[in-house]
Amino acid sequence: MHIPDGYLSPATCAVGYVGMLPIWATAVKKVKKTLNSKLIPLMVIGSAFSFVIMMFNVPIPGGTTAHAVGGGILAVLLGPWAAAICVSTALAIQALMFGDGGIFCYGFNCFNMAVVIPFVTWFIYQRMAGKTEVTSSKRWIWGAIGSYIAINVAACCNGTELGLQPLLFHTAQGVPLYCPYPIWVSVPAMLLAHALMAGPVEAIVTGLVTRYFQVTNPSVIVDQIAAKVEPVKAAFNKLWFVIIGLIVLVPLGLLAPGGAFGEGSADDIKAALGYVPAGLAALGDRYHALLQDYGVPNSPFSADAPDLFHQSVGYYVAAVVGIAVIAGLTLLISKLIASKEAGNQQGH
Amino acid sequence: MCETDVFRPRGGKVRRSFVEKTIDGFSQVLMNDFYAERIAASRGLMQGLHPGSKVVTTLLLILVAVCLRSWPALVLLNLWILLLAYVSAVPLLTFLKRVWLVVPVFTGVVVLPTIFNVVLPGDPLLVLFHFSGGGHHFGPWMLPNVLAITKQGVHGAVIFVLRVGACVSLSVLLTLTTRWTYLMRGLSMIKIPTLFTMILEMTYRYIYVLLNSASEMFLARKSRTVGKTSTREKQRFVGSAMGVLWAKSIVLSDEVHAAMISRGYRGTPRTLANFKLRRLDWFWAVFTALAGIMLLGGDRLVS
Repeated sequence: MHIPDGYLSPATCAVGYVGMLPIWATAVKKVKKTLNSKLIPLMVIGSAFSFVIMMFNVPIPGGTTAHAVGGGILAVLLGPWAAAICVSTALAIQALMFGDGGIFCYGFNCFNMAVVIPFVTWFIYQRMAGKTEVTSSKRWIWGAIGSYIAINVAACCNGTELGLQPLLFHTAQGVPLYCPYPIWVSVPAMLLAHALMAGPVEAIVTGLVTRYFQVTNPSVIVDQIAAKVEPVKAAFNKLWFVIIGLIVLVPLGLLAPGGAFGEGSADDIKAALGYVPAGLAALGDRYHALLQDYGVPNSPFSADAPDLFHQSVGYYVAAVVGIAVIAGLTLLISKLIASKEAGNQQGH
Repeated sequence: MCETDVFRPRGGKVRRSFVEKTIDGFSQVLMNDFYAERIAASRGLMQGLHPGSKVVTTLLLILVAVCLRSWPALVLLNLWILLLAYVSAVPLLTFLKRVWLVVPVFTGVVVLPTIFNVVLPGDPLLVLFHFSGGGHHFGPWMLPNVLAITKQGVHGAVIFVLRVGACVSLSVLLTLTTRWTYLMRGLSMIKIPTLFTMILEMTYRYIYVLLNSASEMFLARKSRTVGKTSTREKQRFVGSAMGVLWAKSIVLSDEVHAAMISRGYRGTPRTLANFKLRRLDWFWAVFTALAGIMLLGGDRLVS
């Protein structure tokens, strides 16, 4: 479910971060209120735990294995807010250390895996089994069902984020710039994979670990930090604002000036949204006028008009010079740094 | 464990059990880290830069990569990244293997269907097959007369793979040449709250403690299982292992908390910031920005 960089347009990535900022801020505020100085140690160990259980190979029928996200079980053990912090941290380490999931797409990766999974699991688990006995089998069953549903909801979100890309960002010739599959392909594809593979794995993990604690140490489930943090309903009321905000922001983010890079031409946006904001139309015209002044040569993929050839020669010369300058300066700076470090070492 | 399902004489194929896979995964993390540490400790361009300048320029270049949309510009950017890796003492073969063996396999497979006209309509580049009963409608989808590889499809797929490759190589380059603690300093320089960088920094350390615990559990399990076990039994083991790990984690977190309190921790993290931006770091940042703008400009002219 980790989206690598390059699959989402920069405008979409920005929306992901903007949506996540209030969630992270609220999560820290809420968890800190109950934990005080224990916040850092518990979140640190929780994050490390989250990272490590993502690496566990869970055997599934047929002799193969799969990995769980672990957002569901963390929500049952820690509550959704703390789980959101822990999974976000684990995802950051995966992105930075192993390149699992992009740095730009981190916002949306966190939204899907660190917010949707824990909150949906928690909501279902708490609604259906929150008032039962600690050892009641309802708890592990609803924990499992909750995380199965949660991971599928997350897959839907993931598919939507990916599926919006080709509708909004493609070149004039219809070449998709980012993820090429439209929403009616990406959502069913993600759902199928998660309903059959990742969903059952997540459910098994949440169910078995909850069951383990019910048998060996029920206090872990009773003493949830979560229970003290915030009543479920209030937590959900706040989250809805963020989700609605995100839904509003997705198209807005695409129309923001940064979206000009994404370059859905005015017609594309008209096709997607049904109208063209006036400012965008003006901006688009100016942009094209600018390029026409420079005599834009065609793409190497389209048939080059011969009279454009002379103009493109100039660009190729400029490109070659530019490349030489970039390469030369890179080498020069690396030499400078090397000599400086050698100097530093002699100085010590 | 059923280590008999490891050895399959008839198929001649060796399949590892989930225990072995997990232990391997754990040691892979350690190996990766030692390897990165060694490269980060050697002398080179990226190692000599201030972490803040390095983080900012890497993010900038990823942004450039995401915005580029013509293959020549993306190829150039990728070549430049390779040059950066070379002058940063990163063994090129390993770098290529890490990026250009992995990205085309995963991302390439994802976009492969889009080069065919049945998935994404476009102008045919190479006709593979003529359908006799073309033109049939299946709901909104129409079966075309021919199966062809399209110009737009190939164009899009090439750009997509090149772009994802550039993004992955940039983040690999950043993490290979920067120690985790320095990377966190770099992140706090771009105004990421200390609370988060501190959690990240400490988590990184405790991952190894927990990995060690988990690895011992799996090894113990492996050494005392003989015969065949059912999938259910295996799953129960994984569940219990996670449970035990959680119990251990809670104890560990209490111990860490006590250790922090006894060293005077009051609830607000403090760090020693001992990095200074030099002129060279500024120079590098400006240079990267200019090079990025140049690439983007050139890209817009040809695309």
